Amino acid sequence: MESLQQLMAGFAVALTVKNLLFATAGCILGTLIGVLPGLGPAAGTALLIPITFRLEPTSAIIMLAAIYYGAMYGGTITSVLINVPGEAASVVTCMDGYEMAKKGRAGAALGIAAIGSFFGGTVATFGLVLVALPLSRFALTFGPPEYFALLCVGLSLVMGLAGKSLTRALIMGIVGLIFSMVGVDPVEGAPRFTFGITKLMDGVGFVPVVMGFFGIGEILLNAEKSLAGVMAESGKVSSFFPRRDEWRICATSILRGTGLGFFLGLIPGTNSAVAAFMSYVVEKKVSKHPEKFGTGVIEGVAGPETANNAYANAALIPLFTLGLPGSPTIAILMGALIMNGLMPGPLLFQQHADFVWAVIASLYIGNVILLILNLPLVGWWAKLLKIPYQTLVVLILVFCMIGAYSLNNSIFDIGVMIFCGILGYGFKKLDFPMAPAILTLILGPMMEQHLRESLSLSQGSYAIFFTRPISLFFLAVTAAILATSAWQALPSSIREGSKDAQV
Amino acid sequence: MSRVHLVAWTILLGFGGFVIYESLQLNYYGSDFGPGPGFFSFWLGVLVILVSLWEVTRTLPRLHEAVPADFFPDGAGVRRILALIGALVAALLLMGTLGYSITILLFSVFLLRVLATQPWWLTLVLSLGASFGTFFFFRALQVYLPVGFLGI
Repeated sequence: MESLQQLMAGFAVALTVKNLLFATAGCILGTLIGVLPGLGPAAGTALLIPITFRLEPTSAIIMLAAIYYGAMYGGTITSVLINVPGEAASVVTCMDGYEMAKKGRAGAALGIAAIGSFFGGTVATFGLVLVALPLSRFALTFGPPEYFALLCVGLSLVMGLAGKSLTRALIMGIVGLIFSMVGVDPVEGAPRFTFGITKLMDGVGFVPVVMGFFGIGEILLNAEKSLAGVMAESGKVSSFFPRRDEWRICATSILRGTGLGFFLGLIPGTNSAVAAFMSYVVEKKVSKHPEKFGTGVIEGVAGPETANNAYANAALIPLFTLGLPGSPTIAILMGALIMNGLMPGPLLFQQHADFVWAVIASLYIGNVILLILNLPLVGWWAKLLKIPYQTLVVLILVFCMIGAYSLNNSIFDIGVMIFCGILGYGFKKLDFPMAPAILTLILGPMMEQHLRESLSLSQGSYAIFFTRPISLFFLAVTAAILATSAWQALPSSIREGSKDAQV
Repeated sequence: MSRVHLVAWTILLGFGGFVIYESLQLNYYGSDFGPGPGFFSFWLGVLVILVSLWEVTRTLPRLHEAVPADFFPDGAGVRRILALIGALVAALLLMGTLGYSITILLFSVFLLRVLATQPWWLTLVLSLGASFGTFFFFRALQVYLPVGFLGI
């Protein structure tokens, strides 16, 4: 009840004309930044922070939050239209969204993504009001072993994304983990896999790898044929709504995506990519035609996009209540809060309650603004398809270079991007899935750090993971996911043989 | 196709060996309790080798399978790919000296005129937009792209 009263007070602040304008401007700028291939929400939010320097803290954070979820939707647009994900969470959208675009259904993919994002975002924000305080108390009981076990669940999902070959997905997951090891060891500060190159001490940046694998790799693959006319194959855009028979499927996907994204958003240490990936896996598992996933099925877009946005809103809970950023973009928001003299953490709700509730109220409003902006504009964004591909190639390459460079102001990162682009081309040719590598690249450092901190706590005993109930539960879930995936990967003759033996 | 995969998995096998070799140069045990900097990467290297060996042994009996006709690009395709990679590497090497704007101007002119065979007027308009246009757009957003010896 107290929460609701405070939320109403928050609406009073967020609904002022000034703050509404900042939220609208943030949504538009965020979507624009998200649409530019190579600039995901993290880079986009970071480079727009200076715009908010002169604003008062509440307006600044309202605008940055709007930029954040605007950019999330912008990333969806490029994933669907040109197969370039703005950030890791959009990688999943490429799988079916781009295939839908190729079949001339880009409008439906973008339309359902906007509707799903609105629903997921609004429900997650409502949930945020209800569970922020009690859940923060529960999450406070998590230590390094629980976080490690939770990340194991995330990594085991790599198996679920296996695609055609389990071993190829596995090896790509491991390659991502090895990439994440490059740089200074997080515990002892020892350089690893740096080969004496100082620039590698900071590790391999996520943005250059994504730009390389997805942006450059795709362009190199297209260059095999011809630079002219490839875009035309992406088809025409017709209806922005799903077909009548697809609404029911979409509705259940959106509901599942909302629950999943919201739950994962509450847990610091996960990220929106995990929410989107997990939603995709769930949709594939419950589907009557899992073999069609990756060929342009609408629930492959609806579920992950909803989960992604539900996550984006719910992820603010651990930030506000515990001071724990769940993703790189949230970490940038945290930096912006600190720059505005607000220290995220349990005290924020007590010392700056008016601020927190105004931002939460603005999330509701922001979701409405995004829907109003996006549904009518879907057609406008879809016109990107009509730009000749050879022109777009130059723009994509230039924005990839800017994206790779601007995060750390490093020309070296452009080199990393080119290297990953050549690797990505090879992987695409050989049908090695790249999504697992991206997921493990993000989760790797956190996982290693929590593992080593846990073992320091237990003085080297691995029993710490099995004697703590929450950690044990997450490990059991991991084991179940791995066992199921391995079983499904076995040749059908072996599985049927086993059934016969049981009979 | 299996021959191509055999080559890929053999390269990965070598990569696994390299990761193990590099990991052994680091401490397996940490100075504190528990694993050191080399622990995680060592076991990842072992996993790469195990998975690669499994795939190599699975692929060997299927070497007779033909490689699909369109797997390797034709001569023109190879030239386009090499030209793209060459242009990217040249841009990388020149950006520190010439700065972002001039490098991207040359890069865009090359791509649009030589590779995409666009008319000169379109090449110039698009190249100026992609180079100086984005430079000033991002400068307005307070993202400062590299400046060369000419100060732009």
